[in-house]
Amino acid sequence: MLTLALDTATGVCTVGLVQDRHVLAEYDISVGLTHSEGLMPQLDQMFARTGIKKEEIDRIAVSIGPGSFTGLRIGLAAAEAMAYAWQCGICGVNTLQAMAYNIPLAGVVLAPVLDAQKGNYYTAFYQWVSGDLKELQPVEMADRETLLQQLQRCGNPVLLMGECERLLKQDLPDGILAAPEPMRLPKASSVALAAEGMEVLTGEDVFTLRPYYIRKSEAEELWEKRHPQG
Amino acid sequence: MEQKDIYILGIESSCDETAASVVKNGRDVLSNIISSQISIHRKYGGVVPEIASRKHIEHIMPVIDAALEDAKVTLDRIDGVAVTYGPGLVGALLVGLSAAKALAWATGKPLLGVNHLEGHVFANFINDKNLEPPFLALVVSGGHTALLKVTGYNSFEMLGQTRDDAAGEAFDKIARVMGLPYPGGPEIEKLALEGNPKAIDFPRAMLDDPFQFSFSGMKSSVINYLHNEEQARRPVNRADVAASFQEAVTDVLVQKSVLAIKATGLKEIVLAGGVSANKTLQHKLAAAAKKAGARLVHPTKILCTDNAVMIACRGYYMYQAGVVSPWDLNAVPALKLG
Repeated sequence: MLTLALDTATGVCTVGLVQDRHVLAEYDISVGLTHSEGLMPQLDQMFARTGIKKEEIDRIAVSIGPGSFTGLRIGLAAAEAMAYAWQCGICGVNTLQAMAYNIPLAGVVLAPVLDAQKGNYYTAFYQWVSGDLKELQPVEMADRETLLQQLQRCGNPVLLMGECERLLKQDLPDGILAAPEPMRLPKASSVALAAEGMEVLTGEDVFTLRPYYIRKSEAEELWEKRHPQG
Repeated sequence: MEQKDIYILGIESSCDETAASVVKNGRDVLSNIISSQISIHRKYGGVVPEIASRKHIEHIMPVIDAALEDAKVTLDRIDGVAVTYGPGLVGALLVGLSAAKALAWATGKPLLGVNHLEGHVFANFINDKNLEPPFLALVVSGGHTALLKVTGYNSFEMLGQTRDDAAGEAFDKIARVMGLPYPGGPEIEKLALEGNPKAIDFPRAMLDDPFQFSFSGMKSSVINYLHNEEQARRPVNRADVAASFQEAVTDVLVQKSVLAIKATGLKEIVLAGGVSANKTLQHKLAAAAKKAGARLVHPTKILCTDNAVMIACRGYYMYQAGVVSPWDLNAVPALKLG
């Protein structure tokens, strides 16, 4: 099973090729290019360097959020179009869960966070138990204080991952550490590994995949506030 | 030797329509799929960019699939993928552009990045199979008002454009002040049918530069008129306001177009953009152009609004000229004409 994986949920553009559980290639760029500019050249170069033919791809694993709305749509539109062109399957992977595959290490709580703006974070907590990833807390949005309180209750050493720089600017409670920088951000290989065993969408079902926004658009939120009766 | 047929897939997502189309040899429309979001944005009084982007990502692939199916053309048979990369809403543009780039790259076909406004001009090639450059184009939409000399299929010369508001923008703003639903242009036109176009003399800014436009003064004058009448508690004949405003806008558009016909000596003028669906503009411009010795060409209603047929048509002429876009093509929300 040859998987092409991609993640454009954050500032990192990461693409990878994974054969079964073996990483054949991974190409990450984080220099502030827009994903619109970066994604296709990056894919093109990765295929050219590996010599892998596009028709060999069995399925596409794409990170669908949470994350930057625009970034998610760029990745998903590209993934759906490729799946359509190659008539292969597609897996939509939770961005936070995929990040937990960066550190397959038991005994710690993994807390990937993503910037949800206005001082908020999208977050979920995970732990590796006997080789399986367990979700301790599902995806939600929380501010710094709530997030740290929740983490302290976990009682284990905690590794913060993802877009956690802002959290590190102030002292963290004991037992809460930042993961080493190279392991913090999304990696396409992790997206591919997280897709193992997931339901694969094929045919017209490819079109049913949606970004995992969590939040409604501001205009909708505002409208609902002003029209509580709907 | 018989030439091989060229099939271009066009993709458009610059504002609130998700559209795809297959066009054969630049002028033969095999399919035209449009998924409109107008009803979704109406309650907000205009297009909400984030909501538009969310709808585009839901519809983009089904719309592309339907366009190929309707055309009875497989993706393999497509020679090039044309897509709007600007101007428009950046988040909306990026959905169509990302899908188009991936589709072209995945199948090894050329990517043809199209300027949406050039696309509107090219909609006329679909309606008039004999139309060929050179000709004049009056581009009138919610974001643009411009007079353009189309000297070849891939060469354009800007004669002049608006200094402030676009004509369509003025229509939409007046409609909003009058409490008409979005989109305002067609609503003003409907209301104007029952009004007297000579009832109120709104100012027509002609400017020193014969080909430049300005609509902000006219727009303010209409809004001031409505406010003054309301303050004086005088009843307003809304149909007269709509008709008089429409008359003022179209007078300016027609007079400047006639000046351009005379200055260039061109024998054909085409209308392009959303406002080109306005019947008063079509009739007045057709009559004035005829008097000046030129012929008016305008798209049918379905091709006046945003569509992917015009994008495929524009892409075909880029394909023929060997103009191919790179894989790092980005959306350009303020892309200019000419």
